[in-house]
Amino acid sequence: MSLPVYLDYAATTPVDARVAAVMAGALTADGVFGNPGSSSHAFGNAAREWVERARAEVAAAVGAASADVVWTSGATEANNLAIFGVAAHRQSEGRHLVTARTEHKAVLDPCRELERRGWSVTYLAPDRSGLLDPSQVGAALRPDTVLVSIMHVNNEIGVIQDIAAIAGVCARYAGSGHGGARLHVDAAQSVGKCALDFTASGADLMSLSAHKVYGPKGVGALLVSQRRRVHLEALQFGGAQERNLRSGTVPTHQVAGMGAAFALATQDSDAVEAERRRIAALQERLWNGLEPLGGVLRNGAPAHSVPHVLNLSFADVEGESLLAAVSPFLAVSTGSACASASDEASYVLRSLGRDERLAEASLRFSFGRPTREADVDRAIEIVGQAVRRLRMIGGHG
Amino acid sequence: MTYSALTRRYFDCADGAGVLTGPRVARGAAGSRAQGTWLQFDLAWRLPTAPPLLGAAPAPQIEAARFLAFACPHTIAVASWVVECSVGRAVSAKLPEPVQAIAHRFDLPVAKLGRLLIVEDAWAAAAAALIVAAGTGPAPRIAGCET
Repeated sequence: MSLPVYLDYAATTPVDARVAAVMAGALTADGVFGNPGSSSHAFGNAAREWVERARAEVAAAVGAASADVVWTSGATEANNLAIFGVAAHRQSEGRHLVTARTEHKAVLDPCRELERRGWSVTYLAPDRSGLLDPSQVGAALRPDTVLVSIMHVNNEIGVIQDIAAIAGVCARYAGSGHGGARLHVDAAQSVGKCALDFTASGADLMSLSAHKVYGPKGVGALLVSQRRRVHLEALQFGGAQERNLRSGTVPTHQVAGMGAAFALATQDSDAVEAERRRIAALQERLWNGLEPLGGVLRNGAPAHSVPHVLNLSFADVEGESLLAAVSPFLAVSTGSACASASDEASYVLRSLGRDERLAEASLRFSFGRPTREADVDRAIEIVGQAVRRLRMIGGHG
Repeated sequence: MTYSALTRRYFDCADGAGVLTGPRVARGAAGSRAQGTWLQFDLAWRLPTAPPLLGAAPAPQIEAARFLAFACPHTIAVASWVVECSVGRAVSAKLPEPVQAIAHRFDLPVAKLGRLLIVEDAWAAAAAALIVAAGTGPAPRIAGCET
């Protein structure tokens, strides 16, 4: 039996062979294996050069300064460091946060934890397409708001929030003499898929992940704007690495891989645009192939989304059975509770107003560099057969 | 979610999915699509050719059975198996095996045991409708359900 068609690139991507080659150069005795914190010998100095080159590559890819980059183990840690770090640093100024109901759990769960510690959190509801109106943020800001955390590209539906406009709202509120909420942006899904400029966006903090962009798992970064004089408290201690914000030996091979992956994903703007158009055509091909089934609902706002994600709900189909029917042949994500650790249907789709049955009977298709038209055509065939069969079994055939 | 080989086989084949029509067809359903699980059984019946025992009403036999299900793979698999087991047997409000035995047979997670009760209710409703239609017994009370 052949492997399923992989259309789950928003979950993770394979490491690019060129990235793997870079990483291999920082592992073994004949490579740059030294501890980048060892400044007393050549091995450590060589490793530190690699780490700083990777820092510059990541910064260049996202319009940040090298000094903004703080290495982490991934976007989840970056989100935790941003939220708990700012909260700890500014708790004397206020204990209120603003976020959205459609954020990743790596933002929502830290917010819930702060609520347990006595903080107040406002959860904004996006419209039915998943978009926030920046004025919603403005209306939620209070004199005691210390942090706003809004994701750039939504991981389930691909919708792109207008970060610059939200940053503008935060800046105007601060300029009017009220407090001054910092803006944190989870941009784990953004790199290489849409324009991303940390400095120009006006954000104060930004979370990044390597493995969504053909880099290794286990490494990410939190951008902490030096220009905007952002301060936060560390969450772990023991070595004072990363400007004392993230202690622990920096894994040279991991960060070198992230740097290489980010450089590959962004350095050739013509190639990036060509790939974006190719992916958009694949997305449209899939939609055109499945829409004739009838009762297929597109989640999100196509005009305000990355083309790499297509999230569909299938009416008159039970969610777990849909996933069970397609999963031997197709690797996709689902809104079904049976596939989630939290045992609930997709809270993102529920936030968009989808009822529980439709939220469960949803599939997220996400495309990547290796995706070809034949993969999309096979997905159309697999999903079409499953939906028709389950509707027949359910009396809707 | 992982499924046993038996669950996978009956879910993938789903033999017996469909409906029956005709004068000697009884129907029963249970559950609700809105709640996530709905199941319907159609039972075609005939009276046995052998004469009944003295004083006993002739027990109708199930000639054919079909099911419809808006349900999880476990429920679809069990419904398909129940239909397969039932053909040729005298009608009974009980499933071919006790619910616990079916749960064991299909390796159902504990969280899914409630779905088996919906299978049981749908089957009981269909069997009751059959007994009434065949005129071989009193009309049992049937719990309300979506049709």
